[in-house]
Amino acid sequence: MVWETLQPFVNRLGSSEFGQWIGQSTDRIAWLFVVHLVGLTLLLGGTFVIAIRLLNIGMRSQSVANLARDIAPWRMAGLLLSLMSGALIFTGGAVSYFEGGWFRWKMILLTVALIFNFTAFRIVAYADEDRFNPWLRRVVGGLTLLLWFGVGAAGRAIAFF
Amino acid sequence: MTIFDWCKALEDTRVGEIVRESAFPYVEGVHVLGLALSVGTVVWFDLRLVGAAMRSRSVSGVFRDLKGWMIGGFCLMFLSGALLFTAHASKAYASGYFRAKMALIVLAGLNTAVYHLTIDRRRAEWSNAPIPPWAARAAGLLSLVLWFSVIAAGRIFAYNL
Repeated sequence: MVWETLQPFVNRLGSSEFGQWIGQSTDRIAWLFVVHLVGLTLLLGGTFVIAIRLLNIGMRSQSVANLARDIAPWRMAGLLLSLMSGALIFTGGAVSYFEGGWFRWKMILLTVALIFNFTAFRIVAYADEDRFNPWLRRVVGGLTLLLWFGVGAAGRAIAFF
Repeated sequence: MTIFDWCKALEDTRVGEIVRESAFPYVEGVHVLGLALSVGTVVWFDLRLVGAAMRSRSVSGVFRDLKGWMIGGFCLMFLSGALLFTAHASKAYASGYFRAKMALIVLAGLNTAVYHLTIDRRRAEWSNAPIPPWAARAAGLLSLVLWFSVIAAGRIFAYNL
């Protein structure tokens, strides 16, 4: 399994000087969580407005492609902030995070969400209005919403379950 | 009865007990993911006001598109936040971070009120301008700073709970 293959790397990361340094300070971790939430707000907020446009239930006064292009830089900044702060938070407690079932679900969902985002979502969101069937656009909008909010929900579950 | 006594009494209610003992992870999950629907929608209007996104679209059009979702998102946040408060009211009341969060929310509300009572009244004159007048840009920037500060104070408060 891929998890076993990654285990030695995770062990090294967790016991590295940098990993120990991050994990030692609760203030550092708390501020990393703040950055993680700022990223989440931009990423999920951007995803939400594009998805309701794809679902045709909101933001109807402009085309999906225009909307997606307009907010892409901020949405991608949100993704980068989330990924970077998430990687640092993980480094601060690598071994214990890695053992958790919800953490693994989050990583699986994140991988699927990223692949979906840069393939189907990108193709459909940036296409001309009449290129794809409205139902296909709705399915892509709904799946995008489910995947990214699923990543967020799995992230919260790490803390509680 | 002091505010602290009132907080204690709130914690002892059936609702406070249910949230604290079983519903907390779910209500907190809604509160965190609700960021996408509240600050995550307001952010696009603020960025339009600042002149940093959707410049080719009128400010009125962006506001019309987002208004219902912003109101819905904030209702969800106030409701889930109020439920979370009932679970740990006295700890929240005693926390400097929680007090800062409440003060920042009041300031963000005041900023919105001042914007709507002043420069927004003449919106028809500048709605199509890619870069709105300085007062509108200032209101947008202040809103972004205040809402992201609310997120920071809320996250650090939760981390120290």
